[in-house]
Amino acid sequence: MMSTATNDDVMIRLEGLTKRYPGQQSNAVDALDLDIRRGEVVVLVGPSGCGKTTTMKMINRIIEPTDGRILLDGEDVTGTDADQLRRRIGYVIQQIGLFPHMTIGENIATVPKLLGWDKPRIAARVDELLTMVGMAPEEYRGRYPKQLSGGQQQRIGVARALGADPAVLLMDEPFGAIDPITRDRLQNELLRLQNEVRKTIVFVTHDIDEAIKLGDRIAILQEGSRIAQYDTPEQILTAPANDFVSDFIGRGASLKRLNLTHVADIELRDWPTVSASTDADTALAQLRSVPESALLVLDAGGRPVRWVGADDLHRAAGRPLDQVGLATNPAVEPRATLSDALNELITARFSVTIVVDDDGEFLGVVDIDQITDAIRDMRASAVSQARAGLQEQT
Amino acid sequence: MDFLEFLAKRSDDMVELGLEHAAVVGISVLLAAVIGVTLGVLTYQRQRPRELVLAATGAMLTVPSFALFILLLGVFGLGWTPVVVALTMYGLMPIVRNTVAGLNSVDPAVVESARGMGLTRWQRLLRIELPLAWPVIITGIRVTTLVLLGIAAIGYIVNGPGYGELIFTGLHRVGTPVAVNLVLAGTLGVIILAIVYDLVFYAVRHLTTSRGVR
Ligand SMILES: Nc1ncnc2c1ncn2[C@@H]1O[C@H](COP(=O)(O)OP(=O)(O)OP(=O)(O)O)[C@@H](O)[C@H]1O
Ligand SMILES: [Mg+2]
Repeated sequence: MMSTATNDDVMIRLEGLTKRYPGQQSNAVDALDLDIRRGEVVVLVGPSGCGKTTTMKMINRIIEPTDGRILLDGEDVTGTDADQLRRRIGYVIQQIGLFPHMTIGENIATVPKLLGWDKPRIAARVDELLTMVGMAPEEYRGRYPKQLSGGQQQRIGVARALGADPAVLLMDEPFGAIDPITRDRLQNELLRLQNEVRKTIVFVTHDIDEAIKLGDRIAILQEGSRIAQYDTPEQILTAPANDFVSDFIGRGASLKRLNLTHVADIELRDWPTVSASTDADTALAQLRSVPESALLVLDAGGRPVRWVGADDLHRAAGRPLDQVGLATNPAVEPRATLSDALNELITARFSVTIVVDDDGEFLGVVDIDQITDAIRDMRASAVSQARAGLQEQT
Repeated sequence: MDFLEFLAKRSDDMVELGLEHAAVVGISVLLAAVIGVTLGVLTYQRQRPRELVLAATGAMLTVPSFALFILLLGVFGLGWTPVVVALTMYGLMPIVRNTVAGLNSVDPAVVESARGMGLTRWQRLLRIELPLAWPVIITGIRVTTLVLLGIAAIGYIVNGPGYGELIFTGLHRVGTPVAVNLVLAGTLGVIILAIVYDLVFYAVRHLTTSRGVR
């Protein structure tokens, strides 16, 4: 049932890991075996009380296991000095726990200081990490935690955990207490960050959508941290191992699969564009020559600004094109999921979602046909996987 | 002779007694702070010892000061020593209580993240818990100081230093015109010291508390 890692590059190996709290009848974590490969994001997900937090906190021994072994990069760390161990492992919790009496810079510098880095190296690292989490170092390093919003504080929580560049990051519902919009943004930032730093991340959540979005592999846990399924999001969505997993995923598994494909993975559709400096008559001529009912106006930097239709152009009366027509809806970037794109599409004008690059420059559009194509592809591959399973059994 | 003239005439006395009074209280507060914070740190996480220490230091406060001074007289003789010992005993309770309250009020998430980052027990205490509990602890020390400034005057019965001399001399001469002036002068001296100490504590608290938790 459990897919043991086929490659040998295991970063964290849990062997028969068990925790029984004093005075409890049953084990909170019961003989858990789990391999986590280097550089992958493993999400532990499951209903409340199933033992996710206990499991995670045994990895850095905030909670000492009753039984079993923890191997970090091949080394048995079950009985080593816990403080030394923790300096090698980044730790982010839901309540953030920034040190309120220290500045943001001092917070981030905590572990480097413990490890005895010299001052210039620490200062450079602090600025590097602030930049990495999208916060201007000059503006934020001297502030205190209370002078930041909740979302900013959690960014600092992540930056602080990355302080001494640990190979492993443990995150316990880090975005659980944050509003949905900010949570979404922080999740995207984490994915972008992970692309740069390639840490081994153990991420705890009880939100299956978050697990699907962030996980390279997901461990769905039942009571006692028993593994119901440990696999990629694709496999869990297309081939749930048992009823517990199906129930846990809930309905709309196919819709959830839209979270697995990114805008960058599909071919964008083109859309006629016109530069804002073009005059209305030229634009009209261009509009007549295409099947679309409007042109997308781009500013001097190639960024979409307005939609203009024939009516708008007739009434332009000499005004530049970026002052007529309708403002564009928010655009998505290539790393957005098809689910994000569909979400924008539903409210977008002309039923297309605009796609731009990091600098906001226009790349193309996504329309409903492309999304249905993507869904059809996914379904086809799910069916063929299911049939492959059939053949294995006979 | 009115009160102001009296003060002017005894101004040298007032200053000298004031310095003694401030010194005996200062020494006692310092001792009480060192002992009290240590007791607080040792017991804040363990319920039984904590309750024991709070009960014991609380009990000291219930001993009438006259009685305590006289009891200590037998052990330490006359002068500064019995006064310092008695004042230190009286000063412990508010400091222990505030140390325990301050340390226990530190956000558990902050302590856990400190553990998770690999700060040792000792580093957590010195760099995280005590600095965060400090505003509460120093408030306890301030309360102790104010209480001790008053009690110190009674130390005169064992020949202790300070404004007690004026007050007790006044007591002996009740009925004479100078009696009221003596008692008033002693009381005024204590009040002025209380104000000075309060300002000092305000400044110290301000200077020693991080802007992030002010
Ligand atoms: N300190 C403790 N003492 C006793 N029992 C505990 C303690 N901490 C957790 N438990 C129990 O162990 C089990 C697992 O708890 P754990 O916190 O790991 O769950 P979880 O999966 O993280 O849940 P949630 O999603 O609610 O955070 C629960 O039944 C819980 O009641
Ligand atoms: Mg939990």
